[in-house]
Amino acid sequence: MKATFPRFGYDTYALKTFVEDLGGEVILPPPTSKRTVELGVRYGPELICMPFKLTLGNFIEALEHGADTLFMAAGAKKCRFGYYHYLQDRALARLGRDYRLVPVGQYTPYSFLFRVMPAAFSVSSTRVIRGVCIMFEKSRLTQYFRTLLNQRRAVDFAGAERLLPEAIRLVEGAKTVTQIRHARRRLAAMFERDGRRPGLTIGLVGEIYYMIEQYSNQEVEKELARLGVEVVFERTLFHHLLHLLGVDPSYHRSRRLARRYLRECPGGEAIRTVGEAVHFVENRRVDGIVHIFPFTCMPENIALEALQQLSEDTGVPVLSLSFDEHTSRTGLLTRLEAFVDLVQRRRRGDDN
Amino acid sequence: MRIGLPRALLYYRYGPFWEKFFTGLGAEVVVSRRTDKALLQSGLAHVSSEVCLPIKIAAGHLLDLRDRVDVVFFPRMVWLEDRQYACPKMIGIVDIARMVLGGRVGLLTPSIKGDFAMPHLLAGLRVNANPAAVLRAYHRARPELRRGGCTETGRADRSVALIGHFYNLEDDYVGHTIRRTFERSGYRVLVKEALPEAVLRGRCGFARAIRWVYERELYNAFQSLSTRSDGACVVVSMGCGPDSLVAEFMHDDAEKRRIPYLQLVLDEHTGTAGLVTRIEAFVEMMERRRATTRAA
Repeated sequence: MKATFPRFGYDTYALKTFVEDLGGEVILPPPTSKRTVELGVRYGPELICMPFKLTLGNFIEALEHGADTLFMAAGAKKCRFGYYHYLQDRALARLGRDYRLVPVGQYTPYSFLFRVMPAAFSVSSTRVIRGVCIMFEKSRLTQYFRTLLNQRRAVDFAGAERLLPEAIRLVEGAKTVTQIRHARRRLAAMFERDGRRPGLTIGLVGEIYYMIEQYSNQEVEKELARLGVEVVFERTLFHHLLHLLGVDPSYHRSRRLARRYLRECPGGEAIRTVGEAVHFVENRRVDGIVHIFPFTCMPENIALEALQQLSEDTGVPVLSLSFDEHTSRTGLLTRLEAFVDLVQRRRRGDDN
Repeated sequence: MRIGLPRALLYYRYGPFWEKFFTGLGAEVVVSRRTDKALLQSGLAHVSSEVCLPIKIAAGHLLDLRDRVDVVFFPRMVWLEDRQYACPKMIGIVDIARMVLGGRVGLLTPSIKGDFAMPHLLAGLRVNANPAAVLRAYHRARPELRRGGCTETGRADRSVALIGHFYNLEDDYVGHTIRRTFERSGYRVLVKEALPEAVLRGRCGFARAIRWVYERELYNAFQSLSTRSDGACVVVSMGCGPDSLVAEFMHDDAEKRRIPYLQLVLDEHTGTAGLVTRIEAFVEMMERRRATTRAA
């Protein structure tokens, strides 16, 4: 079996380790590119949201590279995401490819551990549980790696970029718990920033796919760091996995903090977006919030209104950015620069 | 007490019931004015430009009520039976309403989660403290909830299935134009409201996978109505998440079964002239098809 799944930022490696640990051969889709987007746009419905187009593009490219089993997260609730696999199945079948699509229900962890995964890889559930543990450890590593990278980039952009290829090799190569721990120590030493402090901190919140897959958000994190800003974030695969198991303390904190704006979960990740933004503003004292989401995303548009209100209440600037295949990079950079400028002035205390 | 009902979203389904219920409680019911350009414009200023047309219209209606009432009644539909959810924006608009209205007016927003009666009774108690009066008013208003099932099942001479959310089709801004244009061309318009509940809630085929309550109704209505009409016209609003997905499946079905299919996408820039032209072209196509099938 040649398994594949859509790209998911640095967490692609966490998922890859999981599948490989179960004995599957992984064929990763080539890094998301303009071609991926074009394929997704051509074969997907016109009005659907961006993550669908990117993941479909990923699948088509992975099939071209010889993959035959596609894993896709599923689980229909209020957000469109849970229905992606129906449409992907339809689009790929139309293309006449030979493949097997395995929808992986997100909200049924027991069926995942004891039914879906053992059946897909013909292994025992004990093996699956071991794999999940390694995936946890690895996703914690990628989260740590991203934090370190953001910190170093903010004070020494060129240096951090030089270290990046080797760091990615380290992250990708760590396959057992011991190796992961080792990689963790190595990364900490590599990205040491010798007490240099960044000028500004900005909290990044938004829809989970956009928070993790850098191609989709046109590398907002990197561009902000280039302007000397340290980006803090919380949404990662690690927290998502904990949340799916119902043991994520940060989710409950977000729920509590978001309550003053959203009384009921409108689906997707809106509660977390708002809760994290409040947390960043109140407890981590960030200078601004950047909110990223796919164009026409339903829950995030509700969160957007709440964030506007938060900005009004606390005075912390909020920039909401929605992306689709037509978003221009130049326009984005201009907006980011203007925003950082605004945040900087506000921090210096002159409002004119 | 003056209770405001925004003429938007769920009002088009439960409006008569709410009016009767609150009048029965001794409150004065104020319904916002019919949708027009100015109302939509005022709504646009208060919500993100990316949300769908009905939400923008709803914001306009809330603003219209802001200075005229003591309390706005705006329930939050989270899910109906069988854990079928309303769409995220319909759930979230209630929180947006609080921000749009500011502190000026009270907001009565019972959450409907499976049970329809209890949230209404509790909301009623906030208006009239006498539980017996609340129960009586609810009981009296309840017949309004029952919708007229289908009376005729036979195939009309010329008919078209008009598939779209009730709050889009029954809105004065664009919905009425669509219906009128079809009727002027001599077509009988079949809408899902005429179908019995059992058909709309059916779980056959893809409908089983759909977890949005109104979307499942649309899909079932499409399956049922398109077979006995000359064509299907699907009305979706730009930025509507559930529609973007389910309309795709309807399109597929129509293609497979060779049913004439027209998809109209609504947003705040939609002009009536453009809609009328497209509908007329579609009607012409159905006419030509009728002529060829009769000849064959």
